[in-house]
Amino acid sequence: MAAAVKLPRPRLPASPVENSLEGRAFVFSGFAVSVLAVVLYGEDYIVPAVGVGVAAAGHVVSYRERAGKRGLRRQILLAGLVFASLGYFLADSVGAFFGGVLPQANFAILLVAVTSFDLKTRRNCYSSLWISLAILYLAAVYAWDYPFGVLLGLWTLCLAGFWAASNLRQMGARVVLPVPAVATALIGALALGVAAFIAIPQPSIDPNGPVVVSLPNYVGFKGELENPALPLIQLSGDPSGATGTLDLHFRGRLGDAPVMYVRTGAPAYWRGLVFDTYHDGVWTASNRGFTLLQPYVPSRLLPPAPPHNLGTFVQVFRVLRPLPGVISAAYPLQTLYAPVSSLREDAYGTFRTPDLLRPGQIYSVVSYLPNLSPEELSQDPYVFNAPDENPAYLDASSLSPRALALAQGVTHDHSSNQFELVMALTGYLQQTFQYTQQLGHVPAGRDPVDWFLFDAKKGYCEQFATAEVMMLRGLGIPARLATGYATGDYNPVLDQSIVREHDAHAWVEVWFQNHGWVPFDPTPGVSGLAATQFPNHWAAGGIARLIPHLTIGAPMAVLGSLGALAVVPPAVVIALLVTVLWAWLRTRRRWAALRRASPGESELLRLYERAQRRLGRRRAPPETPLEYLHGIPTDWVLLEELTDAVNEGAYAGRWPEPSRVRELERRLS
Amino acid sequence: MAWLFLLAYWIVALVVVSLAYALWNRGLTGGLAIVGTESAEGSPVEDLPERILGSGPKVPVFEGDRIEVTLRIESPRGTRGPARISASIGTAQLSTAAGLVRKEGWEEVQVVGPVRRGRVDARGMSLERGDPLGFFKHHGPRVESELGLVLPRFTALAARPHVRELEASAAAPRAGSGTEMFGVREYRPGDPLRRIHWRSSARHGELIVREFEPPGVQTLGIFCDPSPPTPDAADQIARLAASEAWDCLRTGGRVVLWAPGAEPSAPSESRSLWALLEWLARYPGPHPAGSQGEQADLPTRWGGQAPRVSDAIAVLATANFEIDDALETIRLRGGAVRAWVVGDAKMDSAVSTQRAGLAWPLP
Repeated sequence: MAAAVKLPRPRLPASPVENSLEGRAFVFSGFAVSVLAVVLYGEDYIVPAVGVGVAAAGHVVSYRERAGKRGLRRQILLAGLVFASLGYFLADSVGAFFGGVLPQANFAILLVAVTSFDLKTRRNCYSSLWISLAILYLAAVYAWDYPFGVLLGLWTLCLAGFWAASNLRQMGARVVLPVPAVATALIGALALGVAAFIAIPQPSIDPNGPVVVSLPNYVGFKGELENPALPLIQLSGDPSGATGTLDLHFRGRLGDAPVMYVRTGAPAYWRGLVFDTYHDGVWTASNRGFTLLQPYVPSRLLPPAPPHNLGTFVQVFRVLRPLPGVISAAYPLQTLYAPVSSLREDAYGTFRTPDLLRPGQIYSVVSYLPNLSPEELSQDPYVFNAPDENPAYLDASSLSPRALALAQGVTHDHSSNQFELVMALTGYLQQTFQYTQQLGHVPAGRDPVDWFLFDAKKGYCEQFATAEVMMLRGLGIPARLATGYATGDYNPVLDQSIVREHDAHAWVEVWFQNHGWVPFDPTPGVSGLAATQFPNHWAAGGIARLIPHLTIGAPMAVLGSLGALAVVPPAVVIALLVTVLWAWLRTRRRWAALRRASPGESELLRLYERAQRRLGRRRAPPETPLEYLHGIPTDWVLLEELTDAVNEGAYAGRWPEPSRVRELERRLS
Repeated sequence: MAWLFLLAYWIVALVVVSLAYALWNRGLTGGLAIVGTESAEGSPVEDLPERILGSGPKVPVFEGDRIEVTLRIESPRGTRGPARISASIGTAQLSTAAGLVRKEGWEEVQVVGPVRRGRVDARGMSLERGDPLGFFKHHGPRVESELGLVLPRFTALAARPHVRELEASAAAPRAGSGTEMFGVREYRPGDPLRRIHWRSSARHGELIVREFEPPGVQTLGIFCDPSPPTPDAADQIARLAASEAWDCLRTGGRVVLWAPGAEPSAPSESRSLWALLEWLARYPGPHPAGSQGEQADLPTRWGGQAPRVSDAIAVLATANFEIDDALETIRLRGGAVRAWVVGDAKMDSAVSTQRAGLAWPLP
């Protein structure tokens, strides 16, 4: 019969007590750098300031009491504070009770601040350092400029400092090093890292999602309704600032102010509203239908991946100024997470919110990247039926016969397939007409398209796009007008784009039988086929996407979408109660054991411990009192008497009377 | 997230640079040395005259003393660091480290002890160096080395003369009547004029006199038990032998130490207290093959004969027929013989014996 083998309980190897004051200083500095990043880039102030102060005090306490035993009361207190931080996190994330500003970062800051009172071992210090790295990561989501690299470099130096201080302390050396050599090494390391960051080529790897950044938020954002001042797209009437109207007779000015930041794996057009009906120079959306959705829209609620899909890529948008409640993104979408009160998907696949998008609002999108190469599109046959049974896509009633004749003439020799025809018309518009933002108003009574094509012969994106849409429809090809923003100032190193007012744009979407709506851009100076492509640069399209982005919000978002988030607060409360109950029971048992003790027992044992302390050596756990007595090179009579008394009490159950203990205590004193 | 890549590159770069730093941080050497002692109560150092102390080792260490050991790291190529040196002396683990080692070196003194008689060996001495972050560490080969000898304690078994008398007797026992040249010293009133060494006097510019060994100077043989039963017994034998030797030397005699199976002390060193103490520090000599015992230190001479001496004292813990024979021979030649017996061993010899326990000083 096989003998039963008792497997040892798996335990982490013991971590040594971190005695290095300098190492702890570096841990705190790393935390301070992370908090500074949150302050500078997240514009969050109160919790970071409180967190740094508390953490500083916690480090002092931890260092002073590093050799002591962890007290039960303190453990309970710290556990309670961690739970309180978690409660704050949930309350602020879901209900925005504290303003809803960076609840994840604030939670991590509070976590570091609370646990800094219990940093005894090296492993504890590492934990604190890694949480501060997570805080830095959260700040990085909002960091759009290179100076953030300075903060990152400072944090790296703090990490190196902790490693060095801890290592030197472990060796038994003071934290003093050859300054020139160490400075050279550090500068070399920083330079080497920057060089690698800039120079290493990118392997082409398909990315995969999904990625969610924030917790769901059911708070309706408050804000003044105002004209969103998107100069090329006139929007009004809807509380969110978005309606289905675009009038080509008017235009505003194009400013340079940033509208939003986009962290993206690929540069793309950020599509917003789509229009299908054109009449008298005004675009409208004929279908007002919509579907209500939760803030987190998983892929199962969205159309399936397009055929020949190349992959997915993530975008994180941060709104910088009040914008209409339109979710600009690279379509088609795979997943969407927007922490707004509710979402509507209109009949054209665009997502809207009932409220304005406020400054600081963040939403995340995972988009498909369909293969829209010329070779692929060339294989698609002509389409003469309107998709979605919407006749508006083929309505060319506003197109003048003159314009139609022009379209037919331009595409006469390029009609072997639909793609060639569309590209011929796009190329013609790009090469024949001039782009200008100084167009002036369309004369009264003139159709803006005719005026653009035959009189002004110059215009801005809306003229180009409207002309192409109408001409395509005149040729029998379904098309519509798409509006939104061009890519903006894309930085392939940082994987991000700054979208400004003058990036507001309009382009054409043409229906292809096998590929759906395909974007084309007749505006001069850009590629005619406005298909998104992964940048051929490693820092923007490679391994970065294999690393899961912040996952802290994903499960919560999934729970929220299932309506199960309401379970979390009671669960936290129950867990807190269980913890407190367990601690209370344990303390009660101890007190009960003390009360049950014989008279004189606890006093004698305390006296015995005092005697051991005085002798400078504590009795080892496996050592009997007698062995301890013989192991001490002393002929102290009192110790012999104490040993006898302890032995008699422990083994015979005859504990001394309190008066006898007091006498021994008097002699010891 | 591009920033994560920058951070990752920096961390990788730190590792790469650490490797380069560890390669640069080579060429360090290290070692241990005894630089001082903290004499224990009853140490012979307290009673020895300066002149004798001056002729001895730089740092005499007696059993029971605490020794000050310096752990030194040298960096001949210039400022380097960090480095750590470690070794063990007996059961004491010594180690120290420096983050910064300048070209002139770095050292730290640590105290070890109390030490027992015998060799002081630094075992497993190793020098560790690497990069400051601790990614790449290099341990040098582990080296064994002898740092010094711990000499046996001793005391005057006879009545103690005054220190000045003691000095005089040790330095110039008798300047006059012997035939064997002992040395030269400065002229003192009362010295015969014929003893003046004119050539040396001319060289030094003052009167120098020749000294001769006194006639009939005693050459004492101290025969030690070759295989004491316990280390404590061996220590006590060494103490007794050292004390007898000291008594003999301070009365102007010579001493030859011998244990059957080991080389006796050199005749040329028969008047050197320190040479005799070193012999006793290495005592006992090697044991015959197959026997159990401590590691041998004394040079061996199998089948060696007892040295020719005028008188002899045996210090024994067990009966030994070779020493008995040697004592008998000396006694028949008219020499005086006696013996110390450590412990309770029974001796059949007719030699007069004194018994001693293991306690020191003797009661």
